[in-house]
Amino acid sequence: MNQRYAPLSLFVLASFIVGCSQSKQTDSASSSPAGKPKIALIMKSLANEFFSTMADGATKHQQANSDQYELIVNGIKDERDISRQVALVQEMVANDVDAIVIAPADSQALIPALRRAAKSGIVVVNIDNRLDADMLAKEDLRIPFVGPDNKAGAKAVGEFLAGKLSKGDGVAILEGLQTSENGQARKAGFEEAMAEAGMKIVDSQSAQWEMTKANEVASSSLSEHPEIKAILAANDNMAMGAIAAAKSVGRSEDLLIVGFDNIAAAQDAIRDGKLLATVDQHADQLAVFGVETALKLIGDRNATVENVETPVDLVTVQSLLAQ
Amino acid sequence: MNISVNTKHLRSILLQYGGLLTALAILIAFFSLQTDSFFQIGTARLIANQIPELTLVAIGMTLVLMIGQIDLSVGSVMALSGAVLGVLMAKYDWPLWAAIFGSLLTGAACGWTTGAISVWFRIPSFIVSLGMLEVARGATRRVLNSNTLTIGSDVAVISEPIGGLGLSPAFLLAILAVLAVQFVLSKTVMGRYCIAIGTNLAAARMSGIRTAPYSIGVFTLSGLLCGLAGLAPASLMEAADPGAGIGIELSAIAACVIGGTSLMGGRGNVISTLLGVLVIAVLQTGLSRMSVEDANKQIITGVVIIIAVLIDTARRRWERAST
Repeated sequence: MNQRYAPLSLFVLASFIVGCSQSKQTDSASSSPAGKPKIALIMKSLANEFFSTMADGATKHQQANSDQYELIVNGIKDERDISRQVALVQEMVANDVDAIVIAPADSQALIPALRRAAKSGIVVVNIDNRLDADMLAKEDLRIPFVGPDNKAGAKAVGEFLAGKLSKGDGVAILEGLQTSENGQARKAGFEEAMAEAGMKIVDSQSAQWEMTKANEVASSSLSEHPEIKAILAANDNMAMGAIAAAKSVGRSEDLLIVGFDNIAAAQDAIRDGKLLATVDQHADQLAVFGVETALKLIGDRNATVENVETPVDLVTVQSLLAQ
Repeated sequence: MNISVNTKHLRSILLQYGGLLTALAILIAFFSLQTDSFFQIGTARLIANQIPELTLVAIGMTLVLMIGQIDLSVGSVMALSGAVLGVLMAKYDWPLWAAIFGSLLTGAACGWTTGAISVWFRIPSFIVSLGMLEVARGATRRVLNSNTLTIGSDVAVISEPIGGLGLSPAFLLAILAVLAVQFVLSKTVMGRYCIAIGTNLAAARMSGIRTAPYSIGVFTLSGLLCGLAGLAPASLMEAADPGAGIGIELSAIAACVIGGTSLMGGRGNVISTLLGVLVIAVLQTGLSRMSVEDANKQIITGVVIIIAVLIDTARRRWERAST
């Protein structure tokens, strides 16, 4: 590299790194009147529709209640960028926020950073992906969890699917990232529903939450095990991939597919009869519940710390038509 | 044409592609023995209809590597092109051909920008394309609002297998692109210049080759091919995915290197790259058929990439010794 350009490329690199923190502040922090609490919402990847919907829900809630609190929304670049999320927690502590509402990218790795935040008097609320309960108990930390029961949601959609199958039918599961808590919970929910209904799980593989990957895995699975009557995908993106796979192996007509998350494209697919059902975790409400819990704890530091279970609903063609 | 010329020609083809074909044959034989469904024409069709995305990206990558540069932005550019296609069709009701034009233009513009900045300001393409990786991914999310967008069945024709052949237009397009680019590389002045630029940039310039427009041209062509690549998943899923193509740059580089393209520039062959793509695709499909656990899949993929390169290196050494 030409020496002359070394500083320039350093500058490019530096601005690139700065650009990685996607931060937006809905209300100017400096003009904060005393007494109006600042709440930081730390999300996983805002490139994921689920989390962007969640963040939008919280932003709308703040706009409607702008006299009550300020909101700072932060996200990380990709779901596995754990160290960036830890850095965000530290930044928010330095920023003197009153509460942190976090969807942790990892159920364990974030705990030390959150412990330091809690020790410095910041209210911490855990949403979406549940922090490891054993580790929290060991650290003697009481962090309320506000979120859906992923396992119950997966079980519900699994039971709905089982109603359309007959006993002993073969099914396949498309798992999410095997390291993620909610991925494991959904898989467990699927398995429980299938076991109770007497279905046979012929194949279960991870497609890492991705559409293209799911297409490849599902088309292999369907070719190797033609007896598969249904596919349970741990998120809607993978369900979309399974729909494409069904088409490429000529099983569009008879293969049943269910997903999870209720993204807009999944609703379209349900209306078109390509997807049987999905699960709505009410992403838009999830962060709002978290913020409300945080506000309650800021208002009364001695309030009892309780977990809040947010609703999970089955989305089918009937429920979409009823809307 | 007499027979001796023919056998000589055949021998040189065997020398050139023998290593890769052997590796491919070993993989196919292994998976055919391990699973019931692998050794079937249907599997070949499935793979053929899944590889256009990686093939098109890898062709462009081969060219870029050949001139001694690198383009890390290919996955994001691919996603952006797909997003543009989706929005033009779903939101503005453009006909397919016009939307394709728009998405190709998007890809070419991204490639041109990366190339022009890198060449004119003499910034390593590694850095510029890293920046473009972020910019294009961000733009993709802007365009799609971070949501998966259903395009509708109008776009399906690109990946719909044609008649009795069972091959999709996307696949035929990818093969056509391989042949066209291989022709340009081995039979035209531009191909010779690319090799010269990659082998020794200063010497090429000194001998009167206008290196800048050729280099920028290669980046533009790579961007255009990414635009084409973006059509494949969008058409397969009938949706534009803001997360499309994440990490595909590494698979593309792997395919090039398996195919014997030098990372230092000056050496590359698009047909070998296609064989490299096939090695990766056969491996992925086979491992999915065997329901190999996700963690093991990663380990095996890495090992096979290294072994394939070893086989190819041995082949080249033998070739040099025998001539």
